[in-house]
Amino acid sequence: MKRLDRLSLGGLACLLVLVVFALGSLAGAGGDPDAIVGPRLRPPGPGWWLGTDNLGRSMLPRVMEGVGTTLLLSSIAVLVTAAVSATFGIIAGYRGGYLNELVMRLVEVLYSFPAIVLAILVAAVLGPGQVAALASIVLATIPLMTRLVRAAAVAVSQRDYVTSAVISGARLPRVLGRHVLPNVAGTIAVQGTYALSVGIAVEGGLSFLGFGVQPPQASLGVLIQRGGTYMIAAPWLILGPGVVLVVAILAINVVGDGLRDQLEPRETRSLT
Amino acid sequence: MTGDTPGAEAILELDDVTVTFTAGPPLRRIRLDAMRHVSLSVAKGETLGLVGESGSGKTTTSRVALGLHRPTSGAVRFDGRPFPRRRRELAGRMQAVLQHPHWSLNPRMRVGQSVAEPLAVLGRPVGDLVTEMLGHVGLEESFAARYPHELSGGQRQRVSIARALVTRPDFIVFDEAVSALDVSVQVQILNLVKDLQAEYGFSALFISHDLGAVRYVADRIAVMRSGEVVETADTATFYTAPAHEYSQRLLEAL
Ligand SMILES: Nc1ncnc2c1ncn2[C@@H]1O[C@H](COP(=O)(O)OP(=O)(O)OP(=O)(O)O)[C@@H](O)[C@H]1O
Ligand SMILES: [Mg+2]
Repeated sequence: MKRLDRLSLGGLACLLVLVVFALGSLAGAGGDPDAIVGPRLRPPGPGWWLGTDNLGRSMLPRVMEGVGTTLLLSSIAVLVTAAVSATFGIIAGYRGGYLNELVMRLVEVLYSFPAIVLAILVAAVLGPGQVAALASIVLATIPLMTRLVRAAAVAVSQRDYVTSAVISGARLPRVLGRHVLPNVAGTIAVQGTYALSVGIAVEGGLSFLGFGVQPPQASLGVLIQRGGTYMIAAPWLILGPGVVLVVAILAINVVGDGLRDQLEPRETRSLT
Repeated sequence: MTGDTPGAEAILELDDVTVTFTAGPPLRRIRLDAMRHVSLSVAKGETLGLVGESGSGKTTTSRVALGLHRPTSGAVRFDGRPFPRRRRELAGRMQAVLQHPHWSLNPRMRVGQSVAEPLAVLGRPVGDLVTEMLGHVGLEESFAARYPHELSGGQRQRVSIARALVTRPDFIVFDEAVSALDVSVQVQILNLVKDLQAEYGFSALFISHDLGAVRYVADRIAVMRSGEVVETADTATFYTAPAHEYSQRLLEAL
């Protein structure tokens, strides 16, 4: 197996740092995110390395907690997306026919809504909160993932090893599980990373609008929204979580590109 | 007429088979006959060569013969009986070695797993059969642990042949099984097929657009053109005195 290139390794390292950050927050490192530690709206300094917010809470533990909330929410959502998209994409791609038409039409309808509009609709139905954020990310990432998994499954289904398995008498679960799924897994992994960055952005946007994660729980979106209020007086409030959000999205995309370069040439290699 | 070999018992018979594909939107739907009133039979132990230019319906014929495609009209008989409604009932009795060495094996499965799969599907014990089959096709035992990308095209087709033979089928389809290989490797694989046939006694439908390769392995030749079988003859007769004008042209091009 080829190794990831340097850029992707860098991205992976960034992600790991963020995960350690988030785990550290659970272990109480960086301090209590809800404790008032000093004067209000102080710039970064000893005791509060990312400054203090409008209540005098240290931003460092709050950003750490926020990263954790955002990453966890997005990761769970992407796992749900991957499971749903893999199931429907593979069955639609292998079977074709009416089922394929139905799945693709549904996906197209979903795809026609901008992610944030979808998210607001979901929040309106489910009520603002983490569940709404999770459902929004799932709905926003399902269409693209399902389409691409289906396209990969169509290509794989036509390969001779699948035909040989069918000729040997293999039943559907075996054909899909042993032959199609392992050969579209690369596509699922690559699209999963991209979906994760979309998820982070959707969570940020939705919480920013007040429909996602609810304070006092911190998420990157919540912190950015709060920080926006004091942008002139205390720019560090928005800078900390903002930079972390951008870094997270960039890092994930870079890792996705690296994965794609490593996995997809084999998946989509032409018939030469 | 199309060639039934009188006297010899047939493993596979196609009787007046027509396959019509439809494509395009409703109202402006295009209909295409990939097979038109095709009658063929393959006797037990015999190799029938099927030749014809690209698009003439050879692969469609093999798919019908394998029960992967139901004919639009006509009948298919396997071992004297009409084709069962569920083709799984014939699982293990027919196998195929298909065209593209690159896609003939699942890249995510070890060679040994691929060879064992037809047995696993039938719930039969695998035992030493994988090693034995690999040996028969001229590959060492150590190949079982390798992945397809570590093999050459010729080696991959050998593995495909091992996989096809592992259930001791009565009938094997070779669809362009050597076409993508170098000429010297082609000869090796064709020899292997002949040797194995002598040993196992399977019947074969050997499809190729390469008349030279077919001549090497086939007992009889059927020629297809735009979905129809235009001539069936013994190999010797066919290559010395082709009856149909189209066959003559094919042979001249050789
Ligand atoms: N699933 C399908 N749907 C529509 N048309 C098809 C389908 N499969 C085959 N055809 C058409 O049927 C005809 C015969 O195709 P087939 O694959 O049997 O030819 P072939 O003799 O095997 O050609 P080649 O030597 O290129 O493999 C072609 O015109 C092809 O386009
Ligand atoms: Mg063909």
